[in-house]
Parts: sequence; structure tokens; C-alpha cells
Amino acid sequence: MAYEPPVTDYDEIVENCTCAFCGCNCDDLDFLVKDGHVVGVRHACRLGASKVMEDMDQRLLVPMIRDENGELQEVDWDTALDKAAELIAGAVRPIFYGWSETSIETMKHGIRLGELVGAVLDNQATICHGPSLQAVQNVGYPVATLGEIKNRADMIVYTGSNPMNSHPRHLARYTTFPRGWFRQRGRFDRTLVTMDPKYSDTAKMSDIWIGFEQNGDYGFYNAIRAALKGKEIDQDYVSGIPKEVIMELAEKMKNVQFGALYFGLGLTHTLSKQRNIDMAIEMLTDLNEYTKWVLTPMRGHFNVNGFNIFMAYEMGFPYGVDFCRGYQRYMNGETNTIDLLTRKECDVFMVIAADPGAHYPGGAVKHLAEIPVIQVDIHWGPSTEIADVVLPGSFIGVECGGTSYRMDGVPIYMKKAIDKPETCRDDEWIIRELLERVQKIKDEEAALASK
Amino acid sequence: MTYIEKPVVPKVIKFEEPTAKEYKLLNMMLNTGSDIYQGACKKRGSTCKDEYRKVCGVAYMDPKDMAKLGVTNWESVKVTTDWGEVIVSAVHSRDAPHEGTIFIPKGPWANVITSHETYCCCDPTYKGIYCTVEKSDEEVLLMADLMRAVYKKYVEDEEGIPELESLGEMPVFKKK
Repeated sequence: MAYEPPVTDYDEIVENCTCAFCGCNCDDLDFLVKDGHVVGVRHACRLGASKVMEDMDQRLLVPMIRDENGELQEVDWDTALDKAAELIAGAVRPIFYGWSETSIETMKHGIRLGELVGAVLDNQATICHGPSLQAVQNVGYPVATLGEIKNRADMIVYTGSNPMNSHPRHLARYTTFPRGWFRQRGRFDRTLVTMDPKYSDTAKMSDIWIGFEQNGDYGFYNAIRAALKGKEIDQDYVSGIPKEVIMELAEKMKNVQFGALYFGLGLTHTLSKQRNIDMAIEMLTDLNEYTKWVLTPMRGHFNVNGFNIFMAYEMGFPYGVDFCRGYQRYMNGETNTIDLLTRKECDVFMVIAADPGAHYPGGAVKHLAEIPVIQVDIHWGPSTEIADVVLPGSFIGVECGGTSYRMDGVPIYMKKAIDKPETCRDDEWIIRELLERVQKIKDEEAALASK
Repeated sequence: MTYIEKPVVPKVIKFEEPTAKEYKLLNMMLNTGSDIYQGACKKRGSTCKDEYRKVCGVAYMDPKDMAKLGVTNWESVKVTTDWGEVIVSAVHSRDAPHEGTIFIPKGPWANVITSHETYCCCDPTYKGIYCTVEKSDEEVLLMADLMRAVYKKYVEDEEGIPELESLGEMPVFKKK
């Protein structure tokens, strides 16, 4: 790779900004700003830096509506908002999906809009850590903050997760490398274990790599649980791992002072889904008979946990909350976006700061191609290709402030560093405008009906 | 510049079995998921660009499997599952050996062929899908062209899609 000289040509430094990429929410970034643009980012990982130094070629700058030829046409804000409000007010089964890359303040208006029109509010958890939340509901949640891990943990286990690729500073800032209060030598005081069928970039730098076979998670955790309970494992290999290795690993896990387990989408996307995580959590319950173990899901977006915490606090359910009966309901397999789309139930889809076009399986996107899609986002992406109304938002943590929740549930206020492009609006403003306009349409309908 | 135009992939020249039997079609297991190149390009917003095709429209394969198919780095392969088929470039995986498994970073290409089946657990099955891989002469489509070819939302003549002009690497919309 080519050498890149440090950025020296900048006007000012904005210190202590929060990264708006993954669930690590690193809050020590310095933005180098020139002419109102971020030209360099200090301390961030490759992912965070590339997100903050966005691609302006594909930045959504103006509101757009599809014309009769199927081409997006620039329009003014009033026209676009009216069109979106008309679609939402006329919908029978709308879904408002996304929210994970916007602020809690925006969600506040989103809930009110959802309640008003009887929508389903769902976020990215539905396609990533939904099963984790179900498992937490099933068997509990032995959680710790990342600071506690930094100061105490002497064994870190990543399972079904590749933080070197998806949360690059997780090891560097919170778990493995930093020196903590009780771990003065940093990396040397900790054992890093990766359990993943793939010999991932994290596995390559781990002390122990357990490469169990594909879809073997469930069997493997059960085997460790058996070993922890002093039971005899009667097979020579479980999920492709020799019995002796499992016994030895169980012994090691029992004898640490403080262990932390982080699990990713490798567990939630394979066949046993939430049962994998049930088993991982119960394995920790067993380990807690001997020593202290905690676990945290490796949340992907910077505020995906925020939506779940916020919804659980406001409505009692973490995601996939359905308001169609006038009160909140939550039923897995029924009120979740993918199921609603593959059953072709949804008739208007609004996506806020998310990209279903890129990240939904084809079977679900096929239904999005048949219904109107409203997009509130900052970049032109695969979802824009199938969107009918496009409303350009602003970049939380860079162009406007907002609250977000880190993967361990710590709320962090993300401050504003630069001004947003003149033609864009804050997400909070957009959703509030939509709420007011839909309310107006509903009031008019009610007045007409009462005559 | 915080990105590169395409992922750095190893070029494996020496195979353990230089006379490996050549296969027309391989039965493999497909995994999808995030990758650092995919993440950096997607979140930067450069999804229309060739760069995104290079980071997402690729299948990371074991060098031995590529030898069996007779493909080298950046040649096209067709991956087929029960849910669809897609053309992607084959490249040597940096996580090899993982014979019998391919990895496509999450994105529009991977999701043409992933399973929307949630088994009432809300989460589609993105990993561990049976697929077949074969050599192909077709070119990997750019993101906008792929979305148009697969989901056909705004095309009237669906038969004529292959002849349509490419939407290119920049957003296409009518300015006021």
C-alpha cells in the first residue's frame, strides 16, 4: 500500500469528537477541518475515518421525487415533504425502518409519527442482533461496560465476530491492548481467544483460535458447558474440535480472574440463531459459578443499541414494534421487517439512515420494488436506486449533534463539528415536519368524516 | 486518501496439487458478512463507484478451489443458490485455507443470493448457504446496473435490460 503523508493543510482542529461508525463510539477523535470540510481524522480507524471524510460525489444534497419516467427529479423541500406525508398518511401497513445511524432526538418524533399512523418501527437489529435481544429476553444479560473490561479482563473471547474488520479499535481501545488498572502490562496480561469457523484477521492475532465447523456453534457451546459441569464428553470430536481441546479450554476459562465474551453476527446469522446465543449466555452462567464472566454483543452501527434501549424504555419492546392496533405489539416472525416484506404486507416503506437496498436479502428487496419507498439519508446508495422520495438528512456527530448509545449501553452526546450543506436538513427536523404534515392530513380527514 | 481502489489480495502461485482435477462446477458453502474494505467503501458513500464493485462484488475463495475451477484473481464466476444467481469476481482469500467455503462481503451482490428465510426469528439466514460456483464470461455489474437488472423497479421493457446503457459511477437524477 502506498505511503500517505500526514495531512498538514487544514484551518482548525475540532477535538474530542465522537465517531459515527460502529458501536464502539470512540469519543477521542480530532477532526482536521478545511473550508468547512473534514480533510483528516486523527485517532480514528480506517472505517471511522472513511465515514467522516465522506464521498461528496454521492452526498444527497437536494430532495428528489421519481417522475413518471422513473427518473429522480430535484424538487423543493415542501413538495418532497408533502409527497412523503401523503404516502405515509394514506398507508395501511407502513414500516419505518432504520434509525440506527441517527440520533435519539430523531427517534422521539419517529415514535409519535409511528403511533399516529399505526406503523411498524424497526431497526437494523432485525437483520443483525435481533436474535441476541431475543436470547437476552430468554436467559438474561450479564453485561459490563467497556471500561470495566479494560481495567479488569484477563481473558477476551470473540465468537462469531471479526472486530479487526468491523470494529477495528475495539481491541485497541477497550479490550485487549490497553493497559488497565489491574492489567498494567496491557496485551501481555490478557489472553485473546477467537472462536470462528473462519481464520479471520482477529483469529490471526489471537493466542487461541477455535475454528469449529460451520453451523457448529450450538454443539460447541454445549460441549463446553458439559465440560464445565464435569460431565464426560462421549464423542471424540464436537463440531470438528477434539474433546481434549474443549476440556482444556473449559479449564482455562474457569481459571481466569475476569473474562469477557463478545459475540457477533456469526452466531445470529447461522441456522440456530437465538439458540446459539441462549447457549453462549448459559455457558457464562455456568462459568460464573467459578469466576466472573460478562458478555456484550458487538453492535454494528453507532446507535443501533440506542434504538433498542430507547424503544424498550418507551414502549417495552426493543425493536419490531407494531402500532397497527393502536397500541404497541411485538411478535418475532410477525412484526419484523423481513417477514412483513416477504409476506408482501407492507404498502409504504420509509427508511431513515439505513440501506435496505444493500443489506436486505433479495427476497425482501423484491417487495420494496413494488411499493413506494421514502428515503431519509445522507448518501446515494443502493436504496436510492429503489426510492421514490428522497429527503437528504445530515450527518450526526459531524454536522449536527445528537445522543447515541454505545454497544455496552453507555449514552454519549455526539457534538457538532462542521456546518451541514445548506440544502440539507437535520433528521430531527425532517421527521418532525413529516409528523406535522401527516397530522394535518389526518385532521382534515377527520373533519371531513365528521361532516 | 483513506481507501484503495480494490482490496489487496494474495496471489498464490504454488499449489500443493499443481495437477488438481479441473471442475466445471463446485458445490460450496456461502458465507456473507462485513469486511474492512466493504465497510470503509460503503460508509464513505462510494457505492456507485467501481471501487464498491471491487470490494463487494467479489467472492473470496480458497486458492485450491480457484485452481479447480481454473480461474485466477479478478476473473468472473457465477454463484448460484436457491434464491438467485449473481456474477462476482473470484479472488484469493487472505483467510485461506477454507476449502469448500466462499465468502462474499455483504452488499447488493451477496444479497441477490442470500436466504430471506427467517424461521420466525426475525433474522434472515445470511451465512451457511449451499451454493454452486462456476466460471463465467460475464462482467460484474456496477451497483446501479445490478439494482436495475435484479429488481427492475423502474424499467418498462424487462427483456431489454441487458441492452440498456450503464447507469455509470455517478448518481443519475434530473436537476432543477
